[in-house]
Amino acid sequence: MAAFGLLLIPLGLSLAVRLGIFRQLLVSAGRMTGQLFLMSIVLLYLFRWDNPWLNVSWVILMIFFACFSAMVNSQLSFGRFFFPVFMAYFIGAGMILLFFNGIIVNYDNMFTARLMVVVGGMLLGNSLNSTIIGISHFYESIKKDNKRYLYLLSLGASQNEALLPFFRDSMLAALKPFMANMATMGLVSLPGMMTGQILGGADPQTAIRYQIVIVLAIFTAVTVSVALSVYFTSRRAFNEYGILKQDLFRN
Amino acid sequence: MVEFQDVSLKFGGNRLFDSLSFNLPRGGRLIIQGASGTGKTTLLRMMLGFVLPDKGRILIVGQELNLDNVWEIRQKMAYVSQEMQIGRGRVETFVREIFNYKKNRGISYRRERLLELLEDFQLSEDTIHKKLEDLSGGELQRVAIIVTLLLDREIYLLDEVTSALDQPLKELIVSYFTGLREKTLIISSHDKIWHQQDFSTLNLDKHGSST
Repeated sequence: MAAFGLLLIPLGLSLAVRLGIFRQLLVSAGRMTGQLFLMSIVLLYLFRWDNPWLNVSWVILMIFFACFSAMVNSQLSFGRFFFPVFMAYFIGAGMILLFFNGIIVNYDNMFTARLMVVVGGMLLGNSLNSTIIGISHFYESIKKDNKRYLYLLSLGASQNEALLPFFRDSMLAALKPFMANMATMGLVSLPGMMTGQILGGADPQTAIRYQIVIVLAIFTAVTVSVALSVYFTSRRAFNEYGILKQDLFRN
Repeated sequence: MVEFQDVSLKFGGNRLFDSLSFNLPRGGRLIIQGASGTGKTTLLRMMLGFVLPDKGRILIVGQELNLDNVWEIRQKMAYVSQEMQIGRGRVETFVREIFNYKKNRGISYRRERLLELLEDFQLSEDTIHKKLEDLSGGELQRVAIIVTLLLDREIYLLDEVTSALDQPLKELIVSYFTGLREKTLIISSHDKIWHQQDFSTLNLDKHGSST
């Protein structure tokens, strides 16, 4: 409860200088508390039953929410993008999750809740932001730099050849902040998972080893998810003349 | 070489073109006039199959532009517009990437030709080692033009290419293109200097009817 007392400072500041986020802040903090509380109950049962099918279904549900959240936070059309982005996430994050559980951790049962649900949540939660940046950047820059795209087409590029520079730029936009973050990790910030483990009584060396592995896994999941999202969506986003369809963005 | 037959196009409720017809022979020169919003850029983009007409036919080199040939027909044309970002990285790397496109593999990249064109357009030789993002607007515009000249296309579509340049550069570009006798030129521009040339004119102000 003392932690909630901390909120008095931002709330007070909001009132004093009229930030206008008083209500929003209360709602957000409330949602966080409620969702995590609910999650603790869900996790309790997932751990108690520990059914592989249930665990996998739960991960798929999380992917669904991750996609939903990715779409809400971008300007892209739901109808056209939801399914391809979902598939990209499913393959991208799913593949890395299996690799992580099956080969890196190498625990007897890789579908156990402790690995599937928890690591799955880490991967999805942390790759979400970068993936949104990547996909949005790709389509927004084609729209904004339309002349460049048309110029390349007129120079004899096939659709994929003309899209390649945009793909490069959006991969960089998605990965660069992440790489900068990696470069300062431990110096500037101690990652939440590691802090949690150490507070929970794990020795720092174990916590650090897991942290390194998970950061690398998240980075790879982002790379694969963005690349596949762009690949899957770009097949539906252009007409046969190679022109970006008009109804891709929500206004 | 470039022929429009009864081409009509609506855009956002406005009738941009209504039964527009013209025929430009090989080596012909056409300047498209009109206030902004009358569809100059759209007209050029229609020739490349970037914008499709609601009605009518567009013929390029005698072939009607359609889905089967649009990617081939684009190979006959070069399209340059004003103030565009064309890419990143070194100029020569960019040019090599263009020549590496599957459709361009038949054309061989010759560095001497690139250097020659740089000189023609008053750019220094070391421009090929410079990065596209470090070039000024005027330099970038000339590089964009030079790339199309390297590909040696038959039809040049120039959309306000001289608008942002200073007078000596405008003159340089106009005299270069008017000197290319065998090429077909279609130009949209507000610059007086193009209008002083002996080109045919298509005035969209008179043609368009916004209803």
